[in-house]
Amino acid sequence: MNSRRASCALGFGVALLALLAGSVFTASWLSPDDPLAMNVGARLQQPGMEHWLGTDRFGRDILTRTLHGGQTTLISCGLALLSAVLIGMLLGALAGMFHGSVFDIVLMRIIDVLLAFPFMVFAMVIAALFGTSLFHLLFAVVVVWWVSFARLTRSLVFQAKNSTAVDAARVLGTSNTVILFRELLPQALGPVLVLATFELGNLILAIAALSFLGLGSQPPSPEWGSMLADGRAHFMTAPHVLLGPALWIILTVLAFNCIGEGLRDRMDPYEKARIG
Amino acid sequence: MGRRLLVAVLQMLMTVFVASLVLFALIRLAPGDPAKLLIGRTMDIAWDAAAYESTLNELRQEMGLNGSLFSQYASWIGSLLQLDLGTSFYTDRSVAAEIGERLPSTFLLAGTALIIQMAIGLFIGILSAVHSGTWFDTVVRLLCVGLASVPGFVIGLVLLLALAVQMGFYEISSQATLSRLWLPALTMGLLGAPQVIRVVRANLLGELGQVYIQSALSRGLSSTRVVWHAMRNVLLPTITLTGLSFTSYISGAVVIESIFAWPGLGEYALNGILHKDYPALQGYALVMVLSVVVIHLMVEALYVWLDPRMTRRKKEAVHE
Amino acid sequence: MKIVDGQKEKLRIEQLEVSYPQEGAMQTALKSVTFTLYEGEILSLLGESGSGKSTVAKTLIGLLPSSATVRSGTLILSGHSSIDLSRPSTSWSEIRGRGVAMLFQDARLALNPMMKIREHFRETLHAHRLASKEQIASISEHWLTRLGFTDPSTILNAYPHELSGGMCQRVCLALTLCLRPQVLIADEPTSALDTVNQREVLHLLQSLQRELGLTVLLITHDIALAEALSHRVIVLNEGRIVESGLTSQVLREPSHDYTRQLLASRDLTSDAKAISPPDASSLLTIRNLFKTYDAEQPILSGVNVQLHVGEIIGILGQSGCGKSTLARCVVGLEHAQSGTIHFRRQDITHAKGSARRRLARHIQLVFQDARASLNPRFSALELVQTPLHAFRVGDRKERLERARYLLEEVGITGAAQHRRPPQLSTGQCQRVAIARALALQPEVLICDEAVSALDMSVQAQILELLQRLHRQFGFSILMISHDVRVLRAFCHRIAVMHEGRFVEFLQGNRLSSGEHAHTRLLLQGADEPESV
Repeated sequence: MNSRRASCALGFGVALLALLAGSVFTASWLSPDDPLAMNVGARLQQPGMEHWLGTDRFGRDILTRTLHGGQTTLISCGLALLSAVLIGMLLGALAGMFHGSVFDIVLMRIIDVLLAFPFMVFAMVIAALFGTSLFHLLFAVVVVWWVSFARLTRSLVFQAKNSTAVDAARVLGTSNTVILFRELLPQALGPVLVLATFELGNLILAIAALSFLGLGSQPPSPEWGSMLADGRAHFMTAPHVLLGPALWIILTVLAFNCIGEGLRDRMDPYEKARIG
Repeated sequence: MGRRLLVAVLQMLMTVFVASLVLFALIRLAPGDPAKLLIGRTMDIAWDAAAYESTLNELRQEMGLNGSLFSQYASWIGSLLQLDLGTSFYTDRSVAAEIGERLPSTFLLAGTALIIQMAIGLFIGILSAVHSGTWFDTVVRLLCVGLASVPGFVIGLVLLLALAVQMGFYEISSQATLSRLWLPALTMGLLGAPQVIRVVRANLLGELGQVYIQSALSRGLSSTRVVWHAMRNVLLPTITLTGLSFTSYISGAVVIESIFAWPGLGEYALNGILHKDYPALQGYALVMVLSVVVIHLMVEALYVWLDPRMTRRKKEAVHE
Repeated sequence: MKIVDGQKEKLRIEQLEVSYPQEGAMQTALKSVTFTLYEGEILSLLGESGSGKSTVAKTLIGLLPSSATVRSGTLILSGHSSIDLSRPSTSWSEIRGRGVAMLFQDARLALNPMMKIREHFRETLHAHRLASKEQIASISEHWLTRLGFTDPSTILNAYPHELSGGMCQRVCLALTLCLRPQVLIADEPTSALDTVNQREVLHLLQSLQRELGLTVLLITHDIALAEALSHRVIVLNEGRIVESGLTSQVLREPSHDYTRQLLASRDLTSDAKAISPPDASSLLTIRNLFKTYDAEQPILSGVNVQLHVGEIIGILGQSGCGKSTLARCVVGLEHAQSGTIHFRRQDITHAKGSARRRLARHIQLVFQDARASLNPRFSALELVQTPLHAFRVGDRKERLERARYLLEEVGITGAAQHRRPPQLSTGQCQRVAIARALALQPEVLICDEAVSALDMSVQAQILELLQRLHRQFGFSILMISHDVRVLRAFCHRIAVMHEGRFVEFLQGNRLSSGEHAHTRLLLQGADEPESV
């Protein structure tokens, strides 16, 4: 029953993500209008037949801008998270392998310090010092976000290192490299993948929130965050301006959350064989 | 147990020390001379190069920018210890005073949100664990995944539009009054609830499957009574989560505060960014770091206090 | 032994049929199980894991998992109306505790770690409104005293983690008995304890049963325990009752094939001649091995032993005596502080890196938890090839051939060779682990409690397998176990270990002649089960 629900969530998430990514990456074909073309005569129009999601204060079609803007958002968030995952896994695996060593202790102290800086605060300080842009936000992401992956990998590798399976591999004369790649990292890979899926959703949300405050990418480039910041000024009179980017953000995050739930439920290799 | 706490306190002090170094370095690393930034605002005599230079030097002297990095850091820490966070470039007021004015409203908002979040989370989490596998549980799970996918400002804006603009239940102004507290607090509480539900449900389900629950049932305890048995063991993860939520509330309040025009620290920090008001921002970041660290410490202390396996070490164990 | 015929019926179960979902289909766990429990008797439900004996216990107290379906069944408890078990019933809270009470296998897990013992008592007595606030303390102290605690007030203020496993089980017994239940179900009440604690709990259970006239349903896999304690025995196999009757009758003159098979596996009477005699040359020499984690109590304090070519030495000891640490030191998973380990002429005490790796060809270890020692991502065939691959033995085809041959030798044939550990039974996992350990043709095989997690019949099979392989390949074995029975059937010599050292060496066939006090303590229960 559990596994059926997991497959459901996974299937739904993947399908939704495929649909969204499809819509975003074929934007220039789906909606060939120029996302930057202004039309002052058609300012702040309500959603209708001509403009499905209405127009913004310069009369630009919101749907077109949302689709085009998604490319920047998705690719940059994905790359930022990927770097965070890679850095975190590498450092975490080393710390787990050499648990209690100087490297491990120093890394843990660094992590303590980074954990004391809430992401929002850190991102705001960076934005204030180096200027508001999407790139600076993503830089802040990479600096802070690797911590959770490092901690997870470290504890998993450490656990696996003390497991009977690794003891058995040692007794059989398996070399350290083989143990790392056959026993330790596979143990960490699954949970890290699950965490990464959820964190990608959280990352998109956090970037959206900061962009909404005006700390992300700046107009006129079509990007979900900057569209949000743009729409913020008139949301009282024309809330539909936010609808496009908000909807796409919600659906993207929903897709990642579903994939995460699905993956989490099917990770345990013993789960499938277990009764009930 | 005392030793564990002592270690935690020492680690906390070290963290704060390194964090202050990082903050100091960041501000110094920032492009642009703070004195020039300040002067740009207060004087319009940039065309008179000589006067400009001399004022600049005076200012540098005043701001302590002329000494070595070490002496600059030392004097900064020295004034920090006297609760002097410097003077805002923008408002020309003491940063410590301004933060002191705004801190209570941010903590009030975060605290209320936390209570709402925990109330919703515990109630629904317990219910869905006890009725796991039923339609109720499925609906809750779906709602949780859905709610966790919505950006906080969207929920805030929707509530604001619906309750304030459409129905007029809520007054929009920038006063920190109790009658204005409930909507931002509710928004934040709703945002945090899914995570609490998930944690409570998963941990409670795990505990309900334990042998001691079966054993309690076999002694004739009622099934409601047994849930309280299990909840004692769910307490610890819930406390960790509460601490984490609180820290993310006081730092993440920026967004909600700006939507609801709640005069808290977030608004102050946003203004700081807007006007490149470094002392204000530095003070804000430092207060945040301190709050986070203190909350961590409190969680640790609670843990030690509540978990009998920590307070009583094996050595004092009962022997026969 | 007293015959209990004609006595008052206490509990009766009729036509019980339970099934669980498994791999999409419903699997029958119990089929038309009917039996009666008479007042004042101990009835043993004897069966191996998977026989359905625990399902019976859980049904009787209404604690079946929600996935299980009771097809039919009636429970009749004297003084209560009969319960149709196939319908969800709300009256369990009346029956549990006072009608039927249960003692769990692992008592440490059966107590809430966040609650003091006092709170357990208060809550239990309170649920049945058996005592006022003032009485609770005196009642709980009374029962704790009866269970052999000299200082009950200290126990009441303790948390479960501060008590040993044996103490927890006694507390649990006090908790159930203070309700004066009509029937007590004891589900493997001692199998999580070590020998000495086991005996203590059994004595208490036995004497209290007699004093209080308790009616007990004892669920166990342990024939010796059933024989020592119970008046009557029911033998359960694959969800059916295959035989029942008076203990003496069933266990001495079994009428059913399955019972005979079970009894045969208990005795493990391998012919000592089948074990080929050892060579005189020494293979592994351990001198004065010393290891400690903290300064107070060393885990190994001067171990001396010499293993000869082809010899099987048993190491007997309670949990915590240091026997596993010794094994881990020999294979280099841990390092001793002082003393030496020699393999042939070579000092291997501190061998590290490639020197240690090379030793894998000579010394191998089989772990207790076979399943955990196998990487769940690989098939049996791949697992056995791992060490061959690591040492570049032969080419790809030869390695495959060798792995096939070894798996055939340990009895993993056909499709099972391609299964991964999650799809194999525990016994099969241990066979794969043995095949893997033998892949490099080691001269020394260390078996660390290699059979103690297995069912008795599987135990017998694995021991037989080891004996055959020993004859065939002529390696030496260090056999570590807490179970005298296993070692006696198998070893040339048995070393008795206590507090980190060997206190006595015994010849395999003259085990009962131990002289050291600790040896006698260990052997006491095993040799002559006391009669009721």
